[in-house]
Amino acid sequence: MQQTHKQKRLSAWSTPILLIAVLLVFVLLIAVLGDNSLARMAAQTMIRVVFVVGLWIFVGNSGVVSFGHVGYMAIGAYCSAWLTLKPQMKGMFLPDLWSFLANAEWPVLPAAIVSGLLAALVALVSGAAILRLTGIAASIATFAFLAIVHTVYSSWEGVTGATSSVVGLTRYADHWVTLGWAVAAILVASIYANSASGLALRATREDEVAASASGIDMYRHRLLALVVSAFFTGVAGALFGHSLGVLNPNSFYLGVTFITLAMLVVGGIGSLTGAVTGVLVLSILIEVLVRMERGVELGGTNLALPAGAQEILIGIVMILVLILRPTGLSGGRELRLRLGGRRPN
Amino acid sequence: MSKLGVFDVSVRYGKVPALTDVSLQIEEGERVFISGPNGAGKSSLLKAICGAVPTTHGRIEIGGMLVAGRPPEAIARLGMTMVPEGRDIFGTLTVEENLRVGTGIRRDRDAIESDIDEIYENFPILGERRQANAGALSGGQQQMLAIGRGLMTNPKVMMVDEPSLGLAPNIVDQVYETLIRLQKDRGLTLVIVEQSSARAARVGGRMVLLRGGTVVDEGDAAEFAERDLLKEAYFGQSAEEPA
Amino acid sequence: MNAIPQLFFDAMSLGGIYAMAALGIALIFGVMNLVNFAHGEYIAFCVFALIVPSTDAVAVLFLGKAPALLLIPILLALGAAIAVASEFVVFRHMRKATPVAMMISSFALGFVIQNSLLLIYGSRPKAISLWPDLNKPVSVIGASVPLLQIIVILATLVVVVALALLLKKTKIGLEMRAAAENFTMARLLGVRANVVITGAFALSGALAAAVAMIMVTQTGVADIRMGGQIMLVAFIATVIGGLGSLPGAVAAGFLIGAASVILQAFLPLDARPFRDAFLYTFVIVILLVRPQGLFAAHSAKPRV
Repeated sequence: MQQTHKQKRLSAWSTPILLIAVLLVFVLLIAVLGDNSLARMAAQTMIRVVFVVGLWIFVGNSGVVSFGHVGYMAIGAYCSAWLTLKPQMKGMFLPDLWSFLANAEWPVLPAAIVSGLLAALVALVSGAAILRLTGIAASIATFAFLAIVHTVYSSWEGVTGATSSVVGLTRYADHWVTLGWAVAAILVASIYANSASGLALRATREDEVAASASGIDMYRHRLLALVVSAFFTGVAGALFGHSLGVLNPNSFYLGVTFITLAMLVVGGIGSLTGAVTGVLVLSILIEVLVRMERGVELGGTNLALPAGAQEILIGIVMILVLILRPTGLSGGRELRLRLGGRRPN
Repeated sequence: MSKLGVFDVSVRYGKVPALTDVSLQIEEGERVFISGPNGAGKSSLLKAICGAVPTTHGRIEIGGMLVAGRPPEAIARLGMTMVPEGRDIFGTLTVEENLRVGTGIRRDRDAIESDIDEIYENFPILGERRQANAGALSGGQQQMLAIGRGLMTNPKVMMVDEPSLGLAPNIVDQVYETLIRLQKDRGLTLVIVEQSSARAARVGGRMVLLRGGTVVDEGDAAEFAERDLLKEAYFGQSAEEPA
Repeated sequence: MNAIPQLFFDAMSLGGIYAMAALGIALIFGVMNLVNFAHGEYIAFCVFALIVPSTDAVAVLFLGKAPALLLIPILLALGAAIAVASEFVVFRHMRKATPVAMMISSFALGFVIQNSLLLIYGSRPKAISLWPDLNKPVSVIGASVPLLQIIVILATLVVVVALALLLKKTKIGLEMRAAAENFTMARLLGVRANVVITGAFALSGALAAAVAMIMVTQTGVADIRMGGQIMLVAFIATVIGGLGSLPGAVAAGFLIGAASVILQAFLPLDARPFRDAFLYTFVIVILLVRPQGLFAAHSAKPRV
């Protein structure tokens, strides 16, 4: 017996609900059992979920690898700082801000939303250009975009503080706030993936030529996916700033690009479940490695992993996954409940 | 020794079967035409023999040597060469460079230059345009170049996938004339994918009919041509058209 | 007035470095459709091979102490070795993978190499003095030019000509060009895939070593981040040049070098820190006008 159409749709909706339940259990366990440092780790993990799920909305559906999303993250992070920092501080450290921004003292939630919207707007403009390209050329253009954002934010002394850090952001982004945004990101990602645009875009993922021949306007769907995707990466940036309290352009460059891409690849680019799995697995691995870098007491001697070992190990894990299981841990499948009916064989 | 043996060979692309348990014996110096409707597995058979696609089942032998599982460059060293459908000449290389790509596997270095001259004698137009980019040649000239390029590997078996595709009939005649002459001169074994039984009968040789990935019939090309002619007379259409 | 010849030499020597780096990337892309993000780290690896492993701020020359006649071939061989090793360890196992998967794994490999250097040498940039005499200015057609610039320009010419001859006149060169255009067909004609790919990686690694020697002499610094920036420019050059086209990569390398020097000279003072942003924007604009690159190879066109 096969599933009916309705059952299939319900089954598709079980994916985000299951993923949200997993995240909820993860955060609850840490909130109940863990210390402050683990709670911070949980918040960082949820921010990565927001970012990687956001990234997946574009990369997972279009099949175009983007190296540029950390650029949208930086844009969101700085925007939230502009909107929420105390005007006196901005006057001192960011003297060239427009008066509207210099005087703004917004509550954090609207600031996060507007930060996401600004990132989405920049995505609309940059994507309108970059997405005219296809395949590898598009990927490299996203890299150029990241370099542009990085150059601008590291040099625009009076607006971004250039390479000196912006400090004093309210540290409101704890594990509960970030969990809320992670839930929102997963819901929107599911809605998009199951929308007409998401389905059409995934058809182009397999074969650009065939899809365009069948009349799918790949460019428009890619642009829409990029804009939605950039919104959440922008919000992730805002949350990132408000969890550490400090911003520096160097936090938004190749390092984060590498780690987040690693999460997407290890989990599996092909599915939303993969994106979330990758974040959880690698975040736990990173936490273990960070603790080992600090040192572990073993029989009276302090054994510590040297700095850099973390990236090396993650890089090796990523390469091994790409060689041995190119579809990632999730194998490109979604976690879902099967409602009625049996898998047809 | 260049007997070609195909035993129970199957090929799949993902889950789609392209060939199922195909067996075929071809003697040294023989001329065999592979025919059948589109999607019958003709190109897959040739590709499996030369190692361009992996087989999922069965074995292939050239001169008693097992080839299945070897990479294409190793199979080429056993004396197998392929002129693929669509020719696949190297458009950015010159005509002469195209001819030289495959000479790396030859042990008889001294004979290379004389072989190139021989090809220019057989195909004078290639000699005239030896320094031209191969991409600038016409379809017929590219077909000749692809055959010449295959010959330069000094093969024992040559497989040609649809030499008549996209060429004017008089050019096709010319291509076949050359193939037959070369076969006589060099004692080549020839395996040719050819849709038209009439043309195969005119050239002469054995014909193998594939359908749905299996061998459905086998015999003298002339008999096939006669039968097809009858069918055409009865049904008013060419029997080679896929049903 | 000697500003114009000065600019010319600046542009040519910077463009030469970019061209060599771009060639290294284009060679591998041509043969196996791999966008090799680890290329920048081959350069950094070669730079650090010059000095004694330690986390001190001042570098003690190690290989760098060897006389040039010995040092140059050793470093070229070392560059070739790391490139070939990376093919052997990583990319050989990905022959059936998609170009996207290969690109991401090269990105990961680059990170592994970079952090291994970090582990051994520490993250602080180090002063390093290789062939300091080459930075002395000499006078050429009214411009005062560091000797190194002239050497860079000559070296680029030598490398490009040597590579062109290798590709045009040797058997492996012919096989590489054939494989770059149609890998399967080349193999059907007996071209050994592994030999061609190993050859391409060796050449690419040697080019990285050449870039490393020039950069280190010019800047006097060894920095584990130095590979990243040049790699990005080199990538962009290969895309503008038409992915897979070697002459295109060289031409685009020079073009970007020239654009970069011209922007530096003529941008208003306030805007100069943003030079790279202008440069990359200019690049995206070029790609929009000609997505297939300025000098597209025949094979780069999508087959429909």
